[in-house]
Amino acid sequence: MFFDLPFEIPYLLTLLLVLPLVGAVATLAMGGERQKYAKYVAGAFSGITMVLSIMLLFVPDLAVYNESYPWIETAGIRMSYILTVDGLSILMVFLTGILVFLSTVFSAREHDRPHYFFALILAMEVGLMGVYMAADYFLFYVMWEVTLIPMYFMISWFGGPRRHYAAIKFFIYTHVASLVMLIGIFAIVFGAAGGGIADFSFEAVLAGSAAFSSTFQTLVFGLLFFGFAVKMPIVPFHTWLPDAHTEAPTAGSVLLAGVMLKMGSYGIIRVCLELLPEGAQAWQTTMVFIGILAMIYGAYACIAQKDLKKMVAFSSISHMGMVMISMACLSDIGIQFAVFQMFAHGLISAVLFMVAGATGHNIGTREIPLLGGLAGKVPVLAAFMMFGFLASLGLPGLVGFWAEFGIIFSFYEYTISIDMIWLIAFCLISLLLTAGYYLWAMQRSMFGRLTEKIDLSHIHDLSRPEVIALGATCALIALFGLWPDLALGFIKEYASSLALSLGVV
Amino acid sequence: MFVEYTWLVPLVPMLCFVIIGFFGKKMPHGGGPLAIFGAMFAFLISALISYEFFTSAAYSSPGYVTEQITWFSIGSFDINIGYYVDSLACLMMLFASFISTLIFIYSIGYMHNEGVKRRRYFAEVSLFLTGMLGLAVSSNFLEMFVFWEAMGLCSYLLIGFWSFTHPNGDDASDNAASAAKKAFLVTRLGDVCLMGGMFVLMYEFGSLDYTAVFDTAAMASVDPNMLMLGSLLIFGGVIGKSAQFPLLDWLPDAMAGPTTVSALIHAATMVKAGVYLVARCFPLFAQNPEVMLFVGVIGGITAFFAATMALNNMNIKKVLAYSTLSQLGYMFLALGAGGYMMALGLQSGDSALIAAGAVGYTAGCLHMANHAFFKALLFLGSGSVIHATGTEDMREMGGLHSKMKITSITMLIGSLSIAGFPLFSGFWSKEIVLEVAMHAGDYGAEGYLFLVLWILAIITAFMTAFYMFRMWFMTFKGKPGHGAEHCHGESPKSMTIPLIILSVFAAALGCIILFGFDDYVTIGIHAGQFQVGSGHGHGFMGWLEDIFLSAYTYLTVALVLIAIGVAYVMYSKMSINPGKFNKDGNSLLYKALSNRWWFPRLYDQIGWKMGYGVAKGVEFVDTQVIDGTVNALSSAVAGSGDSMSKVQTGNVRDYASVVVIGIVVLFAVMLLLFYFMGGA
Repeated sequence: MFFDLPFEIPYLLTLLLVLPLVGAVATLAMGGERQKYAKYVAGAFSGITMVLSIMLLFVPDLAVYNESYPWIETAGIRMSYILTVDGLSILMVFLTGILVFLSTVFSAREHDRPHYFFALILAMEVGLMGVYMAADYFLFYVMWEVTLIPMYFMISWFGGPRRHYAAIKFFIYTHVASLVMLIGIFAIVFGAAGGGIADFSFEAVLAGSAAFSSTFQTLVFGLLFFGFAVKMPIVPFHTWLPDAHTEAPTAGSVLLAGVMLKMGSYGIIRVCLELLPEGAQAWQTTMVFIGILAMIYGAYACIAQKDLKKMVAFSSISHMGMVMISMACLSDIGIQFAVFQMFAHGLISAVLFMVAGATGHNIGTREIPLLGGLAGKVPVLAAFMMFGFLASLGLPGLVGFWAEFGIIFSFYEYTISIDMIWLIAFCLISLLLTAGYYLWAMQRSMFGRLTEKIDLSHIHDLSRPEVIALGATCALIALFGLWPDLALGFIKEYASSLALSLGVV
Repeated sequence: MFVEYTWLVPLVPMLCFVIIGFFGKKMPHGGGPLAIFGAMFAFLISALISYEFFTSAAYSSPGYVTEQITWFSIGSFDINIGYYVDSLACLMMLFASFISTLIFIYSIGYMHNEGVKRRRYFAEVSLFLTGMLGLAVSSNFLEMFVFWEAMGLCSYLLIGFWSFTHPNGDDASDNAASAAKKAFLVTRLGDVCLMGGMFVLMYEFGSLDYTAVFDTAAMASVDPNMLMLGSLLIFGGVIGKSAQFPLLDWLPDAMAGPTTVSALIHAATMVKAGVYLVARCFPLFAQNPEVMLFVGVIGGITAFFAATMALNNMNIKKVLAYSTLSQLGYMFLALGAGGYMMALGLQSGDSALIAAGAVGYTAGCLHMANHAFFKALLFLGSGSVIHATGTEDMREMGGLHSKMKITSITMLIGSLSIAGFPLFSGFWSKEIVLEVAMHAGDYGAEGYLFLVLWILAIITAFMTAFYMFRMWFMTFKGKPGHGAEHCHGESPKSMTIPLIILSVFAAALGCIILFGFDDYVTIGIHAGQFQVGSGHGHGFMGWLEDIFLSAYTYLTVALVLIAIGVAYVMYSKMSINPGKFNKDGNSLLYKALSNRWWFPRLYDQIGWKMGYGVAKGVEFVDTQVIDGTVNALSSAVAGSGDSMSKVQTGNVRDYASVVVIGIVVLFAVMLLLFYFMGGA
């Protein structure tokens, strides 16, 4: 990085995990009379966490911050508390820090039991940070499950009219998937141990992974892949996502789409690709197929949606499909830009969900057919919506374009290598469809004749906190769009070493 | 000395965009003066750069200056950012910034009723200019593409300038919103092709820099099929951006925006980007005669079709829009015909053919520059008329000549120029285009196609003269219509002065062809490499002489004069009723023309079926099949018979059972696994 942090912060990674936890407890304590101050407590804790996660970007040598302590040790099992940050996770940690703080800011006007609300956001941050920093499979799995619980309550307490259905669907669906994943984790851990002490740390498993047979790799890859991919999500195991998003409050959606979906693709790279190169080879074609399906299917589903937020949710599926095909290329460019797309989509989907949420509570409805011609009434909201849509449809100069460009190029290389160059057409078609559904939604909701179907006297433009949160995210989108190396620089080395170990460069 | 500061050319309007965007509300005229300053500044630097570039001997070889830094890299491919200046870039910068300056000045008067919206207007037009200037000086395809898309965005925003709270009411808002969307999506279709083309080039050449791609040795070493694919895909982008057949439908709809925006899109920016890109990729396209043939055929067809659609349109702006399409077609015809000859010349080593190809290049670029001036003039003139009468329908105008003398005379000059009246700007370039097309017909196996195109182009010249003068007579002569009665006289000075300046150029710019334009904007092979500005030497004079010696020139001029005469008797003297020829608008041909040959309906049908139709199907699969299965499964597991009635209940018990079943299944899988692992 162009600027090195001149000092060391002891226990930085643990702080990133503990601060939100303390914050969650402190916020929870702000019940009763003190409710209205809950947001400041939450803001302070998530703010400090964000600052720390930004400082992490300027650390000259990340390895210094690795932390490792024994946790559970029995005769046959060794589980540890190991935290690391590397090229793959650093952007995700940064993204988590930023988005948690900004969604706290965005929700500053939450009046319904704010102490619970903000405590849940912070609790979610604990899990998210944990997933991205854990370097021990047991810790990883625990953190993975930790993210589910606050999200479940977030939806079922603060959600829309069908919140219970959506919350339970979300919980069961992803929980079943993570059980499958758990089996996969047991398989790799015990497989790597080969009858000795089962050490759950990433390092030990990686060391033992050389002994995996190709049949074993293929099978276990399938289990783990399924567990992670449901989270991404993939078609046809995606139906929990639109429901969860439609019912979740805005901050919940932002975190769900911005950071939680990335846990799935993060897991695939971190576990499946790192440990099981032969499995990856065997599943490559399937992954490509799944990616293309998600991309096209998601884009078409968007066109048909009437709820603005549901449309944005389906667009997430489409964009995560891009991440999937990118990973499936198993090349350095593919992996690098898969991670970059995860990061880019994290920022962009945050804007999209904030905008969709603001449409819901500032205008009163998110139903596109009920909206129309509102740009004159809510100019600031319309401007942010335009910006978010443009960023998401891949306007050059904004961060999403570079991610898509790199992804499609890596896919192009892949299609050349298998002599099926026409496959690239699917990517291009999806770009076109993406532009189509966004502009059509824009036309129907903000442009054209002023709607007469809703009461216009109560609509109001964005409040100050909302503008700040949206403005900051948009600024980041523009910054990383003008200077993509700022993010790409972190991933590059990791991607090329992983591609090397996969044997396909 | 100045060339090193080329990066300022797009940067200054960019800064104006940012400043006006954030602070325009407090500025006079919504930031208009700052936008004018930005454009003027860009013009001044462009002029200095061009002066230095053309006069300094240091730049005559290799004919370009480029400077770039690495922006980031994709794997082992470096993506650079920088500038690339050659005569073509100079030409583009000069006319784009000059015309934009005038349009911005004009906008102060034209938009003065828009209040706070002017901030948005001036910010967006500044960005538009940034896009065009950046495109002209970019040093590689990807950088060019960034600016290319920025222009697409600006056209979307500006066509949709009145897409909400339109001064003419809700229908107009709807119309503007839909036109803006159409413009973006249709050009986007081209853009994804262009992106595909860039992937091909990046993979084949290992770089997207112009210097790397246009290298003769590199082009020779690449698989010719991939080269052809890449070229065609890039031309796909051009078809979208320059609204060529079959993607020509968005441009007439784009008239929903303010007239100044139309002037900007048609004259200085946007559609000219496509012509620029073909001229820029000339070395690449000329590797393959078929590609250039395709370019020429698309251009010729567009020129003809667009002209037919203009014949009976009643909307003054739409007539001009069709004329733009038609004139762009001429440019692509010239570039295609020239490139075709050059490609054949490169294959056979015939230097005369290569020189003839360079003439096509010069003709295309000259027509682009000429068109920029007369089309800006015509649009601004029509804007002045619309401003005065409050209508775009020519039937409601008429007899305005006495009330708006300056507008009337300047538009007459513009019409004469576009019609190709002898010695006006348009005449020179159009005659050379026709000559090149005819010449190309003599060579190669598919050359006869150019003869067909040449005949179409001559008919087009006739139609152009007719519809332009139909427009002029209907507007300024004939009986005063309902709108003309409301006319409150000539437009303010800020609007008429740009008209006068533009009319001088529209009349006389073409003469630069007599004073060495062909020495600068041409292409040839120098020391084994393609070089803009080292073409045919002085062989060009022969082509100029041919204009006066060839019988076909006189035929074309005669046709133009006849067309003007016909328009005069029909629409000024009114001694012939045009309704006689088309059963008062009921003939099939008339309906075909006024429905644009039913292209819009076709596209709407395709777009609707391929987009919304499929989307409905996907939606059904999603809610009924996939989600239905999920819900039914949960109910079935719970042992409930009527599954569908309970699906929406979210019953915890149902789901809990799924978990139980799931776990049982998972244990089975686990056992299987351990079996495969060999009991680890």
